[in-house]
Amino acid sequence: MDDSRPIFVQIAEQIENDIIDGAVAEDAAIPSINELAAFHRINPATALKGVNRLVEQGIVAKRRGVGMFVVPGARARLIERRRDEFAADYLRPLITEAAKLGIGIDELAGMLREERILS
Amino acid sequence: MTATATGPVRAATTEGASRLRPNEIWRIVRLHAVNPSIFFGVPAMVLGGAWAITMVIALILLGSGVPMENTGFRYSWAVLSPQWYLIVVGVQAVSYTFPFALGFGATRRDYWLGTGLMFVLASVLYALAIATLLLIERATGGWGIGAGMFDALWYVGGDWATAFYSTFALQLLVLFIGAGVTTVFMRWRMKGMLTLAAGAMALILGVIALLTFTESWEPLGDWLGSIGVVGVFSLLLLTALAWAGAGFLVIRRATPR
Amino acid sequence: MTTTVARARGLVKRYGSFTAIDGIDLTLEEGRIYGLLGRNGAGKTTIMQLLTGQIFPNGGELEVFGRAPAEHAEVLRRLCFIAEAQRYPEDFTPAHVLTSAPWFFEHWDAAFAERLVADFRLPLKRRIKKLSRGQLSAVGVIVGLASRAPLTFFDEPYLGLDAVARQIFYDRLLEDYAEHPRTIVLSTHLIDEVANLLEHVILIDRGRILLDSDADDVRGSATTVAGPSTAVERFVADRPVIGREAIGGLASATIDGRLDRADRLRAAELGLELAPVSLQQLIVHLTGTELAGAPEKEVAA
Repeated sequence: MDDSRPIFVQIAEQIENDIIDGAVAEDAAIPSINELAAFHRINPATALKGVNRLVEQGIVAKRRGVGMFVVPGARARLIERRRDEFAADYLRPLITEAAKLGIGIDELAGMLREERILS
Repeated sequence: MTATATGPVRAATTEGASRLRPNEIWRIVRLHAVNPSIFFGVPAMVLGGAWAITMVIALILLGSGVPMENTGFRYSWAVLSPQWYLIVVGVQAVSYTFPFALGFGATRRDYWLGTGLMFVLASVLYALAIATLLLIERATGGWGIGAGMFDALWYVGGDWATAFYSTFALQLLVLFIGAGVTTVFMRWRMKGMLTLAAGAMALILGVIALLTFTESWEPLGDWLGSIGVVGVFSLLLLTALAWAGAGFLVIRRATPR
Repeated sequence: MTTTVARARGLVKRYGSFTAIDGIDLTLEEGRIYGLLGRNGAGKTTIMQLLTGQIFPNGGELEVFGRAPAEHAEVLRRLCFIAEAQRYPEDFTPAHVLTSAPWFFEHWDAAFAERLVADFRLPLKRRIKKLSRGQLSAVGVIVGLASRAPLTFFDEPYLGLDAVARQIFYDRLLEDYAEHPRTIVLSTHLIDEVANLLEHVILIDRGRILLDSDADDVRGSATTVAGPSTAVERFVADRPVIGREAIGGLASATIDGRLDRADRLRAAELGLELAPVSLQQLIVHLTGTELAGAPEKEVAA
């Protein structure tokens, strides 16, 4: 949990991450509100708000009496949205910082390739 | 009435408007009694200690050969030794237990009624104990060695009922004075205590002056003599009830620190 | 949907010439966890004493469960308030407290209380007077949790508790609150530790309410911008600034209000560093001495 954004947004993002990297499969249940609250040590109302955000976006849906389940096709939609945000969230800051250090685009591309080989 | 321990206090919801809430009052009695050493253990120990000292003195006198009739046990105050502690019990009932009961959601009114009931029950018990010990002392000829602790002061020559009544009245007065004075502190703090002390001094001086200037000391003595032990202790009982009533009025707006 | 359990309007409490509570408006809704925040002496305990009928207001209106709390048994039986400086009957032990608690709290859970005693390693037979500060706090925490009162107050509940015990308190509070929702008011000046537990925060300073808002709205509602003075000044020019610091050519400014993606990008282009402001830091800014002269203005936004 960091302080810059509302916790419920961060809860929603963590569940999204779990869906994207397959930790929670489509059609599988996500943790209950009370489990989320206890695990993250947050107010249950905040956890509920986070989950409701995913409900509004059609990522998870309630099955009466059983809990919240990942909607089929949610993973693909999440990846698509994250790709849209990737440029703004990661590339632009990267380019800005590189420019500050005098790293040109070609050099940056080379560094990226090198970094990939190393890791 | 002890059902309060487990069952929910349903009386309050259904009889919210009712004036008397037995459960709410009785739980205050139980709160005072949950640690029995305060009201019962320590007074019993003080009384037992005074009794032991009286016995030791009697044995020393017996050993030195002084005739028992002349030892003046009937002027001994040993029987009153728990009184000092019981003033403190009255004080602590308000200074410590009252803020605690408020934190537990009791009303001031129920707190005072429950505390008064506790004082009455405790006074009945002390009076039973002392009056009965008095009879035992007489029956055993002063615990077998001619010592007199309970057959002293105004108890001399009185019967069981008189001993019971007088002890009950005195106990109740002592407890209510301790608690009543403390309610003044809980409501008006130091300012209230100073005013109370000044008022009490003025009252005492005023009464002394009145009795002196009207030359009423002798008639007063005669009158007290005429009403007897029971009459005098009835006056004490009335005074205790006056303290109880005044304490109720004061505590209704008292605030814990 | 929500039910109001307590409502104050223009509530005033004076002690002689000192005004402890200066005309506050306050609403507590059912089933929420509130943080009553503020510096020592701000008036936190006084508000709780008023809400629990322990003291009498000098002015304004106050309703708890529909009526004035003082001397109303049907209101008081739904409250639990163990004060930070709570007095206990002479020679009481924790065992006495736990024995008598069920007589006063109809929802008392003795098994839960027993478990908490084990969690906090509270010596039951030791006299209250002889308990350490942390053990004394544990007594209040155990009563507050196990009473399950519909409106429970915790007054600086962690004093003297070590880190492990505090974590136990927060965990048990959340667990039990999830199972048995109720209204809880947590007064504290150690804000960061409890910030995530709170659904709503009420910030009080010198007897007035500076902030009364959902915790999520407060979080991230301020940001500190740091970098070269000129760049900082350009960035914050038309924004509400609630704190400023400068060393040489470098400056940092704390601004009230959220930054969107475009703002963040612009800050990066200006070579500025952005740092989130925690609830605790925000409150330091709001109640700090340098701004104490005009606190209302800052909250207006």
